[in-house]
Amino acid sequence: MAEPAAQTAFAEEALTHLDTLYRGALRLTHDPDQAQDLVQEAYLRALRYQHSYQTGTNMKAWLFAIMRNLFWDRFKGSRKEDVSLDDVGDFVLYDKLKDEGAKPEADVLDKIAASEVVTAVDKLPPLHREVVLLVDVEGFSYKDAAETLGVPIGTVMSRLHRARQQLQKSLYEYAVESGIVHPGGPTQVSQT
Amino acid sequence: MKCEQCADKLDRYVDRELTNTEALEVQLHLEGCPDCMDHYEFQEHLKRVVKHSCDCDTAPKAFRDKLREILT
Repeated sequence: MAEPAAQTAFAEEALTHLDTLYRGALRLTHDPDQAQDLVQEAYLRALRYQHSYQTGTNMKAWLFAIMRNLFWDRFKGSRKEDVSLDDVGDFVLYDKLKDEGAKPEADVLDKIAASEVVTAVDKLPPLHREVVLLVDVEGFSYKDAAETLGVPIGTVMSRLHRARQQLQKSLYEYAVESGIVHPGGPTQVSQT
Repeated sequence: MKCEQCADKLDRYVDRELTNTEALEVQLHLEGCPDCMDHYEFQEHLKRVVKHSCDCDTAPKAFRDKLREILT
């Protein structure tokens, strides 16, 4: 067991990453209470195994790995059920909006509420969602994300690519439903 | 560099994961290809939107205080 002062210093450093862990847990569980339980358990486990943390390495990645492993342990039955994402094609949203005469960023992306973007992220299968969380939200490198998730870098890249395609598809569907874009817009030739 | 090669590298370019040489090749292609530049700007914007939408959640203060008490 570490000296009390060393343990306090370790805990204080670990707590600087609390927001990252909480956000990740919230996106994985979709429930604030479950997220807090998961994060608390992860911190207790981190403290218990602090001897296995190598000073100077990426503590945020190490803590996130503990948290997401706990998540998968609790919901391990669902790991097998994780839905794979079909290849929906590159630049789905971009291409559709261009076809419909919209300016993709200014006309559409900036008009979609943050809560709808979060909903689109939440709809991703968990194995894809966690890659988006690590790379896009928390700014992990592919290497750190791969180590955190225990997969090769190539898997991080392919999951990320498919997740982004799926996000574009979901955002396009929302943009149509909410009237931000109109399928068959101004540049589309009407069929006779 | 052809547009297909640029598209293949766009994720890694947006994520700053290419080597300096590869990034320069992509950058030179983008500067001469408005279509690929539009794709790049869209991808970059989407990444920013996802980050800003998801990173506004922070741990509640009461939870932070409780954890600090348990851990220290």
